[in-house]
Amino acid sequence: MDNKKPSLGDRVEIHLSKIIYEGVLLEVPESEKGIILLKLDSGYNIGFNKKDILQIKFLKREKQKQKEFEIKKDPSKPNVAMIITGGTIASRYDSRTGGVDALTKPEELFKYYPELFEKANVVKAEVPFMKSSEDMDFRDWQKIAKVAEKFLNDGNIKGVIITHGTDTLHYTSAALSFFLRNLNKPVVLTYSQRSIDRASSDANLNLRCAALAAISDIAEVMLVGHGTTNDDFCYAMPGTKVRKMHTSRRDAFKTINSKPFAKIFPDRIEIISGHKKRNSGKAKSDLKFEEKIALIKVYPGQDENILDYYLKNKYKGLILETTGLGHVPSKKAWLNKLKEIQEKGIIVCATAQTIYGRLDPLVYSNGRKILEAGVIFLEDMLSETALVKLGWVLGHGDWAKNRETVKEKMLTNFAHELNERLQE
Amino acid sequence: MDLDYSKIGLKCGLEIHQQLDTRKLFCNCPSLLRKDEPDFKIKRKLHAVAGQSGEVDEAAIYQVSLDKNFIYEGYDSTCLVELDESPPLEINKDALKIAMQISILLNAKIFPLTQIMRKTVIDGSNTSGFQRTVLIARDGFVETKFGKVGIESICLEEDSARIIQNTDKESFYRLDRLGIPLVEIATAPDIKNPQQAKEVALHIGKILRLFKVKRGLGTIRQDVNVSIKKGARVEIKGVQKPELIEKSVELEAKRQLNLIEKKQNVKSEVRKVLPSGETEFLRPMPGASRMYPETDLPLLKISRAMIDGAKKNLPELKDESEELLKLGLNHEMIKLVLDEEKIEEFKEIESILKNPRIAVKILITYPKEIASKEKIPPEKSEEIFDYEILKFVAELVAGKKISEEQIKNVFERIANGETKENAIKFEKSDANDAEEKIRGIIKEKPGLSENAYMGLVMSAFKGKISGKEVMEIIKKYAK
Repeated sequence: MDNKKPSLGDRVEIHLSKIIYEGVLLEVPESEKGIILLKLDSGYNIGFNKKDILQIKFLKREKQKQKEFEIKKDPSKPNVAMIITGGTIASRYDSRTGGVDALTKPEELFKYYPELFEKANVVKAEVPFMKSSEDMDFRDWQKIAKVAEKFLNDGNIKGVIITHGTDTLHYTSAALSFFLRNLNKPVVLTYSQRSIDRASSDANLNLRCAALAAISDIAEVMLVGHGTTNDDFCYAMPGTKVRKMHTSRRDAFKTINSKPFAKIFPDRIEIISGHKKRNSGKAKSDLKFEEKIALIKVYPGQDENILDYYLKNKYKGLILETTGLGHVPSKKAWLNKLKEIQEKGIIVCATAQTIYGRLDPLVYSNGRKILEAGVIFLEDMLSETALVKLGWVLGHGDWAKNRETVKEKMLTNFAHELNERLQE
Repeated sequence: MDLDYSKIGLKCGLEIHQQLDTRKLFCNCPSLLRKDEPDFKIKRKLHAVAGQSGEVDEAAIYQVSLDKNFIYEGYDSTCLVELDESPPLEINKDALKIAMQISILLNAKIFPLTQIMRKTVIDGSNTSGFQRTVLIARDGFVETKFGKVGIESICLEEDSARIIQNTDKESFYRLDRLGIPLVEIATAPDIKNPQQAKEVALHIGKILRLFKVKRGLGTIRQDVNVSIKKGARVEIKGVQKPELIEKSVELEAKRQLNLIEKKQNVKSEVRKVLPSGETEFLRPMPGASRMYPETDLPLLKISRAMIDGAKKNLPELKDESEELLKLGLNHEMIKLVLDEEKIEEFKEIESILKNPRIAVKILITYPKEIASKEKIPPEKSEEIFDYEILKFVAELVAGKKISEEQIKNVFERIANGETKENAIKFEKSDANDAEEKIRGIIKEKPGLSENAYMGLVMSAFKGKISGKEVMEIIKKYAK
């Protein structure tokens, strides 16, 4: 037995020069090379520098208990499908080895989130990829939309729930809002800000409310998450009008320049604003996308020549996140640069870095000049939504070839991204 | 009466939790216990967490909590970390240093590499659903008259939220206490008799008091583990005073012996101590708690340099009775202060008053007297005569806002539920007013001695004026 090579989760003895520790060998985080971690019988973990260890002696392989789970389908409940993409909500800590792995099967979801199944049967779950949301790009949005389209057109499924990391969740929600045309059923994105190992995780309420949203009549792309710090209700927020507004709070996502579709309690839905109704139509995905786009934040004293980079690298469109009502530094060089890059074919749009409110280029002469220079002012559209929309619009070759068509499409309200009546 | 403890095979170990007076362990909030009304409330739920092998094995335990609403009450001194809305900040450096220094004084060996853990907590007393705790040192010892007692471990952990109210549907917790650093010292089961248990507790208490620790009710919590041959390990919770440790060990040994003699089974369980040192059943012994790493923080590395730094300015163990003697206390009072473990409090109050005699009265004698007169149980009394209140009164006496004679009066009012602000309001005996009244009394009964007038005046004023003041006035008018 002694010569057996110890692996993670095994019971071992760690021999140092003066003392021997017994415990379970654990996985070490990637950032901690050169270290061995041991779980003592008291439950505490301690570490050793590899160079201090004389010997790691194998004692015993702990048996892995695995219980199989069966989800009981309740024919009286509606069916929903899930798309699992990664993030905190789908990561679990493996206390046997100390590593982190992903929940990918409906059975596992059931194990961790029994309450998700209270109001609906999760009959299908697909995992197009597992990624932290900061690592996603438009190809991932396309993959999600493809799977969603398939589920939306499956007569056995009432709605789709997508679990996702939070960092860029609002980009994905905007992308799906444009990609999924002729929507017939709810498409619900949800998340968790607190890991699921804790009894206090926000995932539970978010998933319960997401399930309710998925079987509702709201045929929209929406993001469902905590309404406040309390565990009592969630909001269903329009996919194009939502933004992560806090690094860590449960209620990080807020509806900006608009209203949520609904307030969702674990047992009921209160409708707040107008939405498309569930229908018998066929959803159709439109996944065209131009990736040569960028989002640039304007700041005081900014050198206009940074725009040359985009020109040189053949960018097709830029979103300038402008100051105030829609401004860039008013010096002539800036204006000239804006004219120059547009003449060379780049579409330039403006959004507000204030996040809240609508642009208005007419109030100050600086704004009027920028408008005259051809910049498209995107009203109250969120910068992130504008970036995604610009990529989608420019992805359509027949639209992209004409500046005026691009402008017209950018200012057409496809998915609630523009709000004519700001009330806050 | 006297048991042969070695014959019955007594084994006893202590677990001591001491709050530190630094900022909170994983955020920068002050460790401030508040008495005022909370500023806001939040509402949370807990849900079942799948256990190690995947099944929701703790579900049964959670079931009680599942339908419950947990209401957390916060203050302007509460932050997002305490609300479980933000990841923990790095471990508080001051608290870590104190834990290291305590470890060194307890001859323990500090772990150079250790991991901050999450200990699953299921009753809602932590907003996160777990308590953060980290093992700092192992294998220490203290010397006693009866031989060495091992120190198994020294941990640093966060305190839980304070329960305010509990019903079937809702539990109310206050967040002021949540996250206050606690040093947990666990001795080996090496203690062989009740006196030794007391000696160990006193010795560790003396070491703890060298550092910035919290004082007053509930800031030190001691659990005592007791077993005898053929008996079972029983944990006695919430023993506050060393005296009570001795008594409770003795009584628990006798209780177990008694059961064994009657051929009854001794159950391993948690018992709660009563003021007499007797105990009553609290709950069955809990299983090992689930612990897993705090993934929001890196491994805690305690370098050689940090340990050397901690060693460099290590406080020295002082002869406390010598110190008290120098401050002008007699032996009887020294014993009183030492037994109550109120050395630091005494020194502080004495420094306010510059009068050791009054300091002992404010700190110990009066509260005890009033508690026994009004039949207030000891824990309640410590809560009423909270250290902040005692300090407040001492400052008023020092500032001559109230007189020595009025102290007891103030305490009585506080014991009867007055706020401290109201308790110190005396119809002042507005100097002129009082003088007028005293002159009237003298006029009414002329020719009495100064002391006789004193008696009359004091009974007329019912302690609302100081004797010193009265005497001055009497001297002015009585001829």
